[in-house]
Amino acid sequence: MSKGHFGKFGGRYVPEMLIPALEELEKEYLGAKADKNFKNEFNHHLRNFAGRPTPLTFARNLTEKLGGAKIYLKNEGLNHTGAHKITHCIGHALMAKRMGKKKIIAETGAGQHGLASAAVAAKFGFSCKVYMGATDVERQRPNVFWMERLGAEVIPVSFGSKTLKDAVNAAIKDWIENVEDSYYLLGSVVGPHPYPTMTRDFQSVVGKEARKQILKEEGRLPKRVIACVGGGSNAMGIFSGFLKEKNVKLIGVEAGGTGNAAGEHSSRFNGGSLGIVEGYKSIFLQDDDGQLQKTHSIAAGLDYAGVGPELSYLQSKGKILFASATDSEALNAFELLSKYEGIFPALESSHALAYAIREAPKLDKEDSIIVNISGRGDKDLFIVANALKDKQFGDFLKAESSKDGYNE
Amino acid sequence: MNKIDKKILELKDQGRMGLMTHLVVGFPSIEKTISYAKIMEDSGADFIELQIPFSDPIVDGPTIMNACDVALSNGTKVSNAIETMKILSNELSIPLLFMAYYNNLFKYGLERFCKDSRTAGASGLIVPDIPIEEEPNEHFIKTAEKNNLYPIRVLSPASTLERMRKNSRVAKGFIYCTARQGITGVRNRIDPKTVSYLNSVKREINVPIAVGFGISGREHILSLSKHADIAVVGSAIINVINKDYSKAEAKMAEFVRSLLFDT
Repeated sequence: MSKGHFGKFGGRYVPEMLIPALEELEKEYLGAKADKNFKNEFNHHLRNFAGRPTPLTFARNLTEKLGGAKIYLKNEGLNHTGAHKITHCIGHALMAKRMGKKKIIAETGAGQHGLASAAVAAKFGFSCKVYMGATDVERQRPNVFWMERLGAEVIPVSFGSKTLKDAVNAAIKDWIENVEDSYYLLGSVVGPHPYPTMTRDFQSVVGKEARKQILKEEGRLPKRVIACVGGGSNAMGIFSGFLKEKNVKLIGVEAGGTGNAAGEHSSRFNGGSLGIVEGYKSIFLQDDDGQLQKTHSIAAGLDYAGVGPELSYLQSKGKILFASATDSEALNAFELLSKYEGIFPALESSHALAYAIREAPKLDKEDSIIVNISGRGDKDLFIVANALKDKQFGDFLKAESSKDGYNE
Repeated sequence: MNKIDKKILELKDQGRMGLMTHLVVGFPSIEKTISYAKIMEDSGADFIELQIPFSDPIVDGPTIMNACDVALSNGTKVSNAIETMKILSNELSIPLLFMAYYNNLFKYGLERFCKDSRTAGASGLIVPDIPIEEEPNEHFIKTAEKNNLYPIRVLSPASTLERMRKNSRVAKGFIYCTARQGITGVRNRIDPKTVSYLNSVKREINVPIAVGFGISGREHILSLSKHADIAVVGSAIINVINKDYSKAEAKMAEFVRSLLFDT
């Protein structure tokens, strides 16, 4: 990982004030990677804190309804804090400890990475600041509440588009100001080298588990592995277990939002172009001048203008295919999985599922596909209730908000 | 000879520290940018950096970020910034530099950007997010120099000795040292470590030193005058504009003059 390039993508396009810190992080990471104790400690916390391994669940009812390939769910939602994010957060927290840092800085979109960061900060004894776009604070209030209960300070970012990209900018600025005692716990496989590599390495346990589990269940590899892609941490995690297999198609599903116009979606591979923003070179949704465009998705975790550089590289090599699912397809998939399998998928993961629902009937019954359910949908209670126009739930909220505790 | 070199010789002759002032193109409008720049020269500025507004300016604090937002919502394009450069270089005699983030140059086309900037009369480029390590892929330094634009290198207090040397080897015109480990914005005082850091840069490199970030008044500049060759004032000037658009011209002349030494 000399300079962190994946073909023409990736790199370390940051101002001088961050280069020494990134060089140090890279050096320390290489040391940790070769250190057996680090690996043992990481695995220990994955088992005993995160709850790994997560199960690979056969979705029998959904499979029968669709009448095609067998659908398996890698249920990352069963991790502690409700998503795959805790996995790389444990890895990064151990790095912060190793480097003697006192503070963790994180950014978050849906709040899942922020929640996982706050949890590891509480567990390993760091103070924690989480930057979150003001729009995301509004739509993911429950996660804000829980982060605060874990002792984190959640800072709403009210510039730019007030979503994930602006939270990343704010977190990087905080890091520039406080680089000496702070560890930047970047939440995805984006940003300057070595972050995309480190986060992918930490998440690769998901791919290893899934591969072992499907071989045990089916005796052969799946035809498809499907994951949603915001920054791409859950996708790189599960894909890394199957990258070398020619007969396994890897599909990344982006947010199709409400339409194809700029600002209506977050599909970087449908309208994006090569650029260099937030420290890395990749595909971004931007205008002719290189200004990032507004994005949209019902899933805050997919609502991001950039995408991990390694994903762009693998896409350019034809190793990963990209597709998209709209807001309403994702909602529909959410409802189907709930009713048929008894599992609430996160709205982010519902995008991957929506694609699987399209794809499964086209494949043989003997074939199998794996869908990465990167998180559970409990956090989306309010968004789903609103989208489903659940009037009684609205009445409940009104009644709740008039209670004394909120009005003192 | 690049105008920057000429200016530096002039400063040496006069035995004084130079002043570089800063504007975001299109903030609050292109017309105002042009009129402010003229006032800056008339009031004694030695260099002006014209920042091309960017949607995600990673080293800028709230003041310049907001200026970028305003400029972009006015519809300011990279091509407008180049036109502004052209107008100003015809009317002013001091060296003008572009400050920009690399993605704007990259999307415009690096070669095309450098050519157009040169034709428009720019003397240098300050691009903070294109480190020397990416040169083999991007050829930023090479392309700038080919077009007789000085690619200004940036150092920070966190820069190691090795990085100072690495950057000084390719430095042209001057090296831009950030006065503090941080982002742009007005600060009450200069970090006491700034002086020793500037001195260590001076020991390592032969290129003149510009110092910026957090410098907002005459006392700041005075305290650094023995340790650097050029003082850069950015956010503090934008604050003058922010205070009252209607009086900004008069206030700006006053403010820029207040930064100068008696000579």
